Amino acid sequence: MTTNRPSGFGNPWLQLGLNIICVVLYELLLKTGARATADLSQTWSWTGITGLASPLIWLAIVVIILDLMIWLYVLKYIPLSIAFPLSRVVDVLVPISCWLILKEEISSLRWCGIALVIIGLVIVAKPAARLEERL
Amino acid sequence: MTWWSFVLILVWLITFVAGQLFFKRAMELSSTTSFRNRKMIALLGTGVFSMTISFLLNLGLLQRFDLSYLYPFQGLSIIMISLLAAVILKEKLTWRLTIGTLLITAGVVLVSMS
Repeated sequence: MTTNRPSGFGNPWLQLGLNIICVVLYELLLKTGARATADLSQTWSWTGITGLASPLIWLAIVVIILDLMIWLYVLKYIPLSIAFPLSRVVDVLVPISCWLILKEEISSLRWCGIALVIIGLVIVAKPAARLEERL
Repeated sequence: MTWWSFVLILVWLITFVAGQLFFKRAMELSSTTSFRNRKMIALLGTGVFSMTISFLLNLGLLQRFDLSYLYPFQGLSIIMISLLAAVILKEKLTWRLTIGTLLITAGVVLVSMS
């Protein structure tokens, strides 16, 4: 943990938010690309390599690289045991976007799970706020 | 879910968790030593390699399962990462952080079961 934490655009919490947006974006791109290439080859499809035939997958790879750089920056300032659980807000955002954009079904049990994740996130966010005060 | 899919999901998770730990270690080093540090680059490289395997397996799995079903399995990695961050990276795990992490994981498992 460094004491001279950057502010403004370099604020690690803002970057964590950007990281989350990138993850939701590339997951949707990956699913759309994978869906388009699912029937290309019976022999190789389990490795995932056939997915590379889709331009959407390559666009996703660009977003992933960008996201990786943002994430490494976040890790420089925030402990992994706080940053990682918080970044899992994507576990709520991804199913909801699947429901909204990809028209996948969400059952009531799944909605309950999403609610639990949100409660857990709120609890984890509290020590994160305390960490911020100490910085 | 077949036995083979289960193995693929497991390897996908393990390579993902290992990658995260390598990344954090590398970034810890980068803030105390110069960015050209050889050990730091080796750690970063191993992390990227691990993540690449994880990425390709994820792609293969996405070709047969719904994203909203498959994705939450990654939630199990929250527990693994928090535990390993405490054990290996010596990060402080408060009871509050532990409960929050467990709730997130429980929610994620519920999502994947539904």
